[in-house]
Amino acid sequence: MTIRILLVDDHPVVRQGLKTLLEGRSGWEVVGEASDGAEAIEKAKDLQPDVTVLDVTMPRMNGLEACRLLRRQAPQLEILFVTQHDSPQMMREALEAGARGYVVKSNAARDLLAAVEAVSQHRVFTALNGRDAAGVR
Amino acid sequence: MKLRILLADDHEIVRRGLRALLEKHEGWEVCGEASDGREAIEKALQLHPDVVIVDIGMPNLNGLDTTRQLLQHDPHFKVIVLTITDSDQVIREALDAGARGFVLKSDAARDLVSAVEALQNKRMFFTPRVNDLVLAGFLEKGQTVSRNEAPKLPTLTAREREITQLLAEGNSSKEVASLLNLSTKTVETHRSNIMRKLSFHSIRDLVVYAIKNNLIQIELPPPPPKSPAGPTAA
Repeated sequence: MTIRILLVDDHPVVRQGLKTLLEGRSGWEVVGEASDGAEAIEKAKDLQPDVTVLDVTMPRMNGLEACRLLRRQAPQLEILFVTQHDSPQMMREALEAGARGYVVKSNAARDLLAAVEAVSQHRVFTALNGRDAAGVR
Repeated sequence: MKLRILLADDHEIVRRGLRALLEKHEGWEVCGEASDGREAIEKALQLHPDVVIVDIGMPNLNGLDTTRQLLQHDPHFKVIVLTITDSDQVIREALDAGARGFVLKSDAARDLVSAVEALQNKRMFFTPRVNDLVLAGFLEKGQTVSRNEAPKLPTLTAREREITQLLAEGNSSKEVASLLNLSTKTVETHRSNIMRKLSFHSIRDLVVYAIKNNLIQIELPPPPPKSPAGPTAA
């Protein structure tokens, strides 16, 4: 299955790591990268990705604000958070903002591919560190 | 002969990114990876890399104590510290620990290759802010200190710092004992000594101390979004 992905994180090294992992899957393509929420909104408008992988803490506009705006701009776009925040409260906020998935950065290498696959099929994927096993519904 | 690099960061995704960045450079190879300070020391002693890159905020043993312990084992290790902040205190501690390079994680894609090149050529690499601080320290050297400095807390030994980090990360004395191959009784003795030295009465005090002294790092959530300016007309 072809999945077009936009990567949003303020650390280029993290984007590079995510990219090498995602592009290992045949048919998946990272179509663009952005380093903050505002740039993500512009790029999503131009590139029309299927999935946006979004960090929470970023300069200019954080991921939660970007998520709300992205959902308004493109309701068919699925959003997956990949974040340092291993917190049920933050996860709730992310889902309330319109995200379909939530993965903790320290587990990204384990959970990212399953999470992108799930959200691209409009299924919820959440996994906190040490509390839940990766959950899909 | 290839330059061999050991990477230590608790996030596999960051290690992947760093590896991709470094291996684009001809003649360099990442000879090993570690996900915490203790594993970094083990791998460094086993692999003898030319350069070790350590993240400051690693669990079990943070990057600064990893650097100190590596250089105690062998002063020839060349260590680059990766950090999310270049506060004065972190810079001073990294220099004091013996790091030969200091790179902000946010700038790693731009600076890390230059830092490794510098170490390869027997030079050091610091961000402009570190250079300013080093110069300021050099100029101040020899002058009498008369500023209002906060009184320093007693210094902990390397073992006490390790135990402080592990306790502040939420481990029980029994868990710390198991991680460090010590008896629970020995850990409890260290724990009492730490609390007495620092005049602390609760684990909460210890957690605050560990955060303030960069033994552990926390990421704060983003501020709540601003409410729309002014009332809207009906």
